Amino acid sequence: MNKLQFHYFHLMPWPYLPADYDQKYDSAWVTLPNSIYDPIKGHALYNRYLDEIERADKLGWDSVIVNEHHQNAYGTMPSPNIMAAVLTQRIKRAKIGIVGNALPLHDDPLRVAEEIAMLDVISGGRIISGFVRGTGMEYFSYSVNPTISRERMDEAHDLIIQAWTRPGPFAFEGEHYNYRYVNIWPRPIQQPHPPIWLPGTASTETIDFAAGHKYPYMTVFMPMDQRKRAYDMYRRLAEEKYGYEAQPEQLAFCVPCVVAESDDIAMKEGEKYVMWLFNKALKVRPEFFVPPGYMSVRSLRGMLESGTYGRKASFKELVDTGVVIAGSVDTVVEKLAYLTDELHAGMLVTGGHVGEIPDYLVLKNQTMMAEEVMPHFREKPVRAEPKPVEIQPV
Amino acid sequence: MSDVVTPIEKNERTVNVQGIATHIFEAGSPVAPPLLYLHGTNLGNLWLDYHRALAQYFHLFAPDIPGFGLTERPDWMRDMSDYILFFRDLLNELGLDKVMLVGHSIGGWMAAEIAVWYPERVKKLVLSNAAGIRVKGSSIADIFAMNAQELIAACFDNPMAAMPLMPAEFNVDFLLVQYKERTTLASLAWNPSYDPKLERRLASIKCPTLVIWGANDRVIPPVYGDTFHRQIANSRLVKLEGTGHMPMFEKHEEWARSICEFLEQGKD
Repeated sequence: MNKLQFHYFHLMPWPYLPADYDQKYDSAWVTLPNSIYDPIKGHALYNRYLDEIERADKLGWDSVIVNEHHQNAYGTMPSPNIMAAVLTQRIKRAKIGIVGNALPLHDDPLRVAEEIAMLDVISGGRIISGFVRGTGMEYFSYSVNPTISRERMDEAHDLIIQAWTRPGPFAFEGEHYNYRYVNIWPRPIQQPHPPIWLPGTASTETIDFAAGHKYPYMTVFMPMDQRKRAYDMYRRLAEEKYGYEAQPEQLAFCVPCVVAESDDIAMKEGEKYVMWLFNKALKVRPEFFVPPGYMSVRSLRGMLESGTYGRKASFKELVDTGVVIAGSVDTVVEKLAYLTDELHAGMLVTGGHVGEIPDYLVLKNQTMMAEEVMPHFREKPVRAEPKPVEIQPV
Repeated sequence: MSDVVTPIEKNERTVNVQGIATHIFEAGSPVAPPLLYLHGTNLGNLWLDYHRALAQYFHLFAPDIPGFGLTERPDWMRDMSDYILFFRDLLNELGLDKVMLVGHSIGGWMAAEIAVWYPERVKKLVLSNAAGIRVKGSSIADIFAMNAQELIAACFDNPMAAMPLMPAEFNVDFLLVQYKERTTLASLAWNPSYDPKLERRLASIKCPTLVIWGANDRVIPPVYGDTFHRQIANSRLVKLEGTGHMPMFEKHEEWARSICEFLEQGKD
């Protein structure tokens, strides 16, 4: 079995949606009234989530990951860098991923370069820096023009990489970002810079960008056949367009994993809690999901013609199509092995917390993953042959 | 003035402006005063009763604004200044020195800007349910957040009047055309959805101006019409009852009559 890295991803959702949520609200994003958020409960929740992440570190997960989302119940981390700063003080072994900062949403990406550099220095070089465009919904929430999203993404990326790697001061002259003095203090520890990840939903443009820069590309919540197509495209672009062979560490997959004592129990627990993610937290008006100009016409045509957008799926269908992995240890190992051995992917990104899942189930999930699933994908330690102890003469 | 709209022969062609193949309808008597009509979002490549009504009295030029209808928008064309210069050059290309300028919605914004920047090219100005300014406390509706049904409900008092805009088939191609046109609108009006400097500059418009609004406009509230009227000294205001953002669909006779009467007054 090929090797697999295990990354513990937390969305920090707001699970306490009102009983009439399904009838009364058409979106968990942009317009869901923030009176639903209770800061007192939020205080307890943030700290509970941080405890969960700390356990993942102690259980041996390779990294812990946070991300950026705005004005929604799906994920309550508008500033992932603040959360990462907290984690530098709690997490002393694992890497700390921010996957990612939504670059085009910010008018000043130099600030992102500075903050990631700070975090890298504070954490002793343990930062993974994801870059994302942000969801379509966030272009409404932040009033950022979606028609220039990709241009701002590309340009902010170039600025940040240069800020980390070029001796300052220098001028950055872009179409959307223009700085006379780029000269960040501090600079990151990791050289040439912290690793960059790019999550995506299989748009050709993002896969090409990731392959071109040799950045890990992370497929998010998508059926296995779509993941396969995305990885095939990445590998083909790497080989034919950019002249190298893509490595497993460049192909990541973000997938909810439910592991339990048996397939039956996993299906029941998954259905009860993971469906919250798809039915409630990802409930979005289509107009928010794809604002004008956010996607290329080609990518949008692909999405519309596939007929998958907006289709309601049962938990069983999600499991059958590979959007979710659920089962006993053997089942989960077998499914992950398909990803590592058939799709050549080498990084699993998953978390245990969705909706109102009780803490004991989060603990069970993260522990079973770490203790019973993970070892199948680790290099076996080389055992030394027993031999008599030689006693050296004094 | 007669209410009877007789059939008008239209001429359809493509004019090259700044390298942009611009689709345009032309109709009416060549000796009548020229009228440039600038349409609203998603209203390009249409030839309807309100066009015919205008062409009865004027030499009508109705181009598809780049990014709408059959006129493509080049990638560099991204803000209002690009459109103002485009229309200056379109007038040159059409050999029109001075026109009656009528604009609706986003086209009304463009018309107001043209009147500010090129006053010598505008004989009279008509702003119908026009965008371009902001009235604090009375936001323009976020049409980007609306689905097709909500958009029709916001734009029309009488949804049946939207029938000319219904496609033969709701398919992926139709959705992609809508998406591309919304993208053009977003490039101009996502944020800010107006020109912060336009309201002050309206004072420089000296030509006779008609501000005409559907009294029930839920997209650009009538208070915007009041504001245009207040800022343009030589203007008059007409509010049409029983219609909203699309008076040329719902009350096309009243709308066209008001405009034609205004434009014909004192004409030589």
